[in-house]
Amino acid sequence: MEFGFSPAETAFAEEVRGFLREQPLERFPVDGMDAGYGSGAHSRAFMKALAERGWISMCWPVAYGGQERPMFFKLVLFEELALAGAPFGPLAGSWQTADAIIEYGSERLRREVLPAVARGEATFWQGYSEPDAGSDLLALKTEARRDGDQYVIRGHKIWSSHAGIATHGLVFTRTSREARRSRGFSMFVVPNGTPGMDIRPIRSLTGGVYHYEVFLDDVRVPADLRLGPEGEGFQALLNGLDSDRFWGRFYKAPALERVLRRLVEHANTTGASRDPALRRRLAAMAAEIAALRLLFFRAACLLRDGAPISYETAVAKVYADETGQKLARLGMDLLGPWAPLRAGSREARLDGEISHAYLTSLGHTIAGGTAEVLRTTVAVRGLGLPAEPRKA
Amino acid sequence: MDFRPSPAQQLLVATARDFLKKHCPPERVQRVALDARGVDDALWQRMAELGWQGLLVPAELGGSEGSLLDVILLVEEMGRAGAPGPFVPSAVVATSVLLACDNADQKKRLLPAMAAGERIVGVALADEASSLEVDARGRLTGRALFVEAAHVADALVVAARAGGETQLLLVPTDRRGIARWPLEVIGPEKLFEVAFDGAAVSAEDRLGSSAGRRGALQAGALARTAEMVGAAQRVLELAVEYAKTRVQGGRPIGGHQAIQHACADLVRDVDASRGLLYAATWRTSEGVPAAADVAMAKAYASEACLTVARRAHQIFGAIGYCEEHPLHLLHKRIHAASLDCGDAALHLEEVAQAIGLR
Repeated sequence: MEFGFSPAETAFAEEVRGFLREQPLERFPVDGMDAGYGSGAHSRAFMKALAERGWISMCWPVAYGGQERPMFFKLVLFEELALAGAPFGPLAGSWQTADAIIEYGSERLRREVLPAVARGEATFWQGYSEPDAGSDLLALKTEARRDGDQYVIRGHKIWSSHAGIATHGLVFTRTSREARRSRGFSMFVVPNGTPGMDIRPIRSLTGGVYHYEVFLDDVRVPADLRLGPEGEGFQALLNGLDSDRFWGRFYKAPALERVLRRLVEHANTTGASRDPALRRRLAAMAAEIAALRLLFFRAACLLRDGAPISYETAVAKVYADETGQKLARLGMDLLGPWAPLRAGSREARLDGEISHAYLTSLGHTIAGGTAEVLRTTVAVRGLGLPAEPRKA
Repeated sequence: MDFRPSPAQQLLVATARDFLKKHCPPERVQRVALDARGVDDALWQRMAELGWQGLLVPAELGGSEGSLLDVILLVEEMGRAGAPGPFVPSAVVATSVLLACDNADQKKRLLPAMAAGERIVGVALADEASSLEVDARGRLTGRALFVEAAHVADALVVAARAGGETQLLLVPTDRRGIARWPLEVIGPEKLFEVAFDGAAVSAEDRLGSSAGRRGALQAGALARTAEMVGAAQRVLELAVEYAKTRVQGGRPIGGHQAIQHACADLVRDVDASRGLLYAATWRTSEGVPAAADVAMAKAYASEACLTVARRAHQIFGAIGYCEEHPLHLLHKRIHAASLDCGDAALHLEEVAQAIGLR
């Protein structure tokens, strides 16, 4: 057993902290809302700054401009950025898409998209959900029809994060009807602005815009923007969702640790820290956040070692979301009458961060696999309990 | 970072599991639990032959020279089997106090015998459950509550006020002026009130200042956490097995989401508790500051593992309510372990200070 970082990882963490000291976060304009996952707001300028350090592509093969650094460097970077509250919103998505392109992307995707990712310019939205395909993703209706060396995509995607400010969509479509329900799907990397694509914002209960819906009206896409073999997009998607649970939530624990520190500081200032019940709640949160972090690191070790993952990322994802909800709720209790004040309001406490976290956290147990779907995954895939019969 | 025990540790765990399966099966655990004395002498001896009680003790004192991580992995297996006996007070807490003390004679006299399974030493170290004082004439007075296995202990390590400071003493249980009164508890552990009525304390009983107490209680807290994690793991396995085989309405109950989701939460609670346990033990072994990590592990597991047991009762339904079913013993042991070596409230206060609450 070994629960510390290696000397190289420790040195890299120090390098990241040095970067954050030199580059105060105020310098980076924000282009898109912080949805509370722990990766902060969407900031192109910050992505560029990460790119200049070579950190976006640092784990890629040398052949694609990377430095072949071990996976744990990404975790170190995530932890340091999240502890600092940096705006690295699109980073996890960029990494995942790049990994998929490196693994099974076409020559064109590798040539055109990868360098843009490495420069911090290309970011991605996920076109998975549809109005009638949420937890039952395979019910989706968006179709891509082959027409010579192009595909013609027609359909309606929804709940796509930052679709209006990203550069490409990952559009999951049906390319054929097969006997097996899970076959016949294909994924496309579609540049924003392609004719026929209409991206409309959805204002959320926070008052801000994070999600979009995307209408695809005979959008023509060159065949070599397909990601992976035709008809086999579902397995790629499953792999993607599995890794989404991990990469899309890994930074939650350090981000919550940052919020907890702020709450402790606030409680000390107001004297609320003398309330024994509150002390216990805050201390219990600290323990839960530490436990959460270790659940993710255990999954990380399995991923690093190529060991099979059955339930570990699903457990960690649900726990991340529910722990975040609990901390936000605790923060609201602590702030009392000040809790509902928004960022920017007179008298707002902790920059209005808590009320925003409280609202955004409501969506976390829904996005990326609901807590219910994932608990079923844990039970069926992890514990071997019998699956509920599915209606045809 | 690496969550896997070393090959030697994996062997220790596999050996322990096989051994406990053979020598400490559920029927035996049941029998010993219902027995008034509540200790299995033959099992205690066999464990000593494997070097378990001497794991923390160096070879020159008759020990098997293991690490704290070894002990934690072993106690996890003991918790899983529901193994009876005063292993944590004697082989972990009292042993740690003796190892840290500066009374070389007592170390030499007791540690080899404890490692060999020939002597048992109990502990009364909790401030909140005892009020012991040594007066100017060297007489020990007061009482200690919730002392485990005092009836089979040859001696007790106690913390007592003496002058302005707290001293650690080693007191033989057969000394005049010491009385042991059994407390009746819901679980299989045997707890006592120990009353000291002017018992004589000599120089050779003194283990020195209370310097070693904190470390010993931390080792004990980790061991109790391991016991909870092991027991909760067993509860999880039993519950999942039951959910797969218990058929109602033509289907296993584990095919229903209500049961599936409960089981998914049990896995989370056990895995999360174990992660904190291993990390805190590792940090303690490395000699880096770990008081807050130990406190988090104990406080977290106390809540999470007890929740595992309580939810398992709902999964098992009526059968889990029976005395002959193993669930209630595992449940009661988790509860008892959550109280020993600092309960959740005490550890949460330690965490509260560590995160900077003033």
